[in-house]
Amino acid sequence: MLGLLLSHPWCSCMVLLLSVASYIGVAGTARTATTEPALPFQQRCRAVCGFCATAATRLLVRIVTQGPVPRHVAFIMDGNRRYARKSQMDRVSGGHYAGFEKLSSVLEWCRELGIANVSVFAFAINNFGRSAEEVGALMRLAEEKLVELADRSVAENNRYLRIRVAGNRELLPAGVVRSAEYAELVTKDATAMTLNVCFPYSATDEISCAIRRVVEDAEDGAIAELAAIGEDTLEQRLRIPGPDLDILVRTSGEIRFSNYMLWQSARMAYIQFVDVFWPEFSFFHMFRVLVSWQMALRSINKRKAQMGLSPSAAAAAAPSS
Amino acid sequence: MQGLVWVASVLLVAVLARVGGRKDRLQSGSSKQSMQRQLCNGACAISLRAIHLGVSIHRAFQAWVQSSLSQAGLDVRELLEGDDNELVAEKRQQIADLLSSLPQRPAHLAVVLPDSREDIINDVEVLCASALLAKVPRLTIYTRDTSMKDSADAISSRLCKSKMVARAFGSTPQIDLDIGSKRAGCSSGDTGGMLDERKRGGKPDICVSLWSRNNGYPALSALARELAGQARNGALRARQVDEAFVADRLADPLGHCHPDLVILVDDLACLPEFPPWQLQNAEMVQVSSSSTADGSLGRITFGSLARYAKVSRRWGR
Repeated sequence: MLGLLLSHPWCSCMVLLLSVASYIGVAGTARTATTEPALPFQQRCRAVCGFCATAATRLLVRIVTQGPVPRHVAFIMDGNRRYARKSQMDRVSGGHYAGFEKLSSVLEWCRELGIANVSVFAFAINNFGRSAEEVGALMRLAEEKLVELADRSVAENNRYLRIRVAGNRELLPAGVVRSAEYAELVTKDATAMTLNVCFPYSATDEISCAIRRVVEDAEDGAIAELAAIGEDTLEQRLRIPGPDLDILVRTSGEIRFSNYMLWQSARMAYIQFVDVFWPEFSFFHMFRVLVSWQMALRSINKRKAQMGLSPSAAAAAAPSS
Repeated sequence: MQGLVWVASVLLVAVLARVGGRKDRLQSGSSKQSMQRQLCNGACAISLRAIHLGVSIHRAFQAWVQSSLSQAGLDVRELLEGDDNELVAEKRQQIADLLSSLPQRPAHLAVVLPDSREDIINDVEVLCASALLAKVPRLTIYTRDTSMKDSADAISSRLCKSKMVARAFGSTPQIDLDIGSKRAGCSSGDTGGMLDERKRGGKPDICVSLWSRNNGYPALSALARELAGQARNGALRARQVDEAFVADRLADPLGHCHPDLVILVDDLACLPEFPPWQLQNAEMVQVSSSSTADGSLGRITFGSLARYAKVSRRWGR
């Protein structure tokens, strides 16, 4: 069929042009660092590329949602500073702002794909070791953008996104805590999609807190029988208790966990290390991860059944449009 | 005419795909979709299957290429167990020098093996020899089930008598084998089995641990139970339990750090319930289990070490 299509010269040319235009459009959306005004011809080209990118994304969403869709995907949004260096942006905050813009796009993709739970690693506890200037910039970014995300969810999308800030809030400044509480409050009734913003977070802190909560409950008498304390008891007390993590994606090409969602990742989560910086993470990369997961799903569920774990995902999502 | 034939064949296949494919939306009683939408969904379903097929073919080809290349490559077992001649000794020395020149090596290497490995004792021997050759002081081998721990005595005996391990180290090394509930060790002149702590003098040349699922999630819940019991008895307050407290309880008894490098020997990029607390600082390299079928675990270990050597560890900064 494909051969018949491409054997026709007009068809081949159109397919080639559309592919190039959509690639430029999709892959180039991150390269918006320039502030120079565009020429009219450049503006028209960008409009065409943007249209092709949107059309290509919609087509790929339609294709991939014919198969199973994960319930819970986690992202380690790595590479913002290196992206800022590469794009000659402001090193302290430029990369992180670009990273937030990419997060907004990724949330939109996940909404279209029907992924119900998204967790993102926004700030690690050991990131407090960075320069005061950068930590301050990140705190200001969080304070501003949590409110923006919540308001956007409420205003534009009929409260589709529920925001939860998972992390050790005792380490945060008061302004960020207020923004987090505001975001959680205004979006608490949304049911379509949950976003867990891990800020500030480490998996070892999460597990330790879960153990402490078990000890507190035992002290208070809330746990009657100590012999009943098991893995489920701890899991219910984690900052991100569920559902089970299906896919963990780390960008920037690093191949480590960086103390993120270890309890959840080690339970047969599909781990993918993608060799692009987070602001350059495109829908093509997301598509590849999802297709790869779909192909591995049968083996994953078979192994999970042998281990006594509940199977991954897999109802096909209803496309939103 | 050709165009008409093409359009007709696409429509026919799309109809067949839609009718024969997913029925959940129609069966669920939700609003009927238009024929156009159904055909579109059918075409998309075919495209997805075609993409899956294309990716599978691509991966199979890559695996075949990798397998062809690896057959001509290094076999650690052959190198360390073969007859001692000048050529072999020179190659061994070259590899040892190459490994010594790596800018960074993990202080603790963990290898995750699938449960169905046929000759686990051979695998442990090769991994131990590779770790000694690379001067990695701590090696952990993980399988989800307890098959390795059940073969602990056989593993201990094999390591003590192993020519491969001795050649990798240059002499008979002092190996501390940790099987969880007991420790075994061997050094020059021993034939393996249990050793009294007093007999083992000095620091072992390599510590080898055999882990299973019980070292992970069950250990964490056992710790929670223990601390809850202490709290109930008044020996502990909940506010004393913080990350440092838990880290202290879960620290390696021999003072080693948690694994720096985890080699996952599996076709699936999924960890089969590896102890989660111990993954906090780990870099992970995945290797297909089919590429290790010919006993090339050693070569894979060196490849992973070479990859680890290039990693830049920023520790959150």
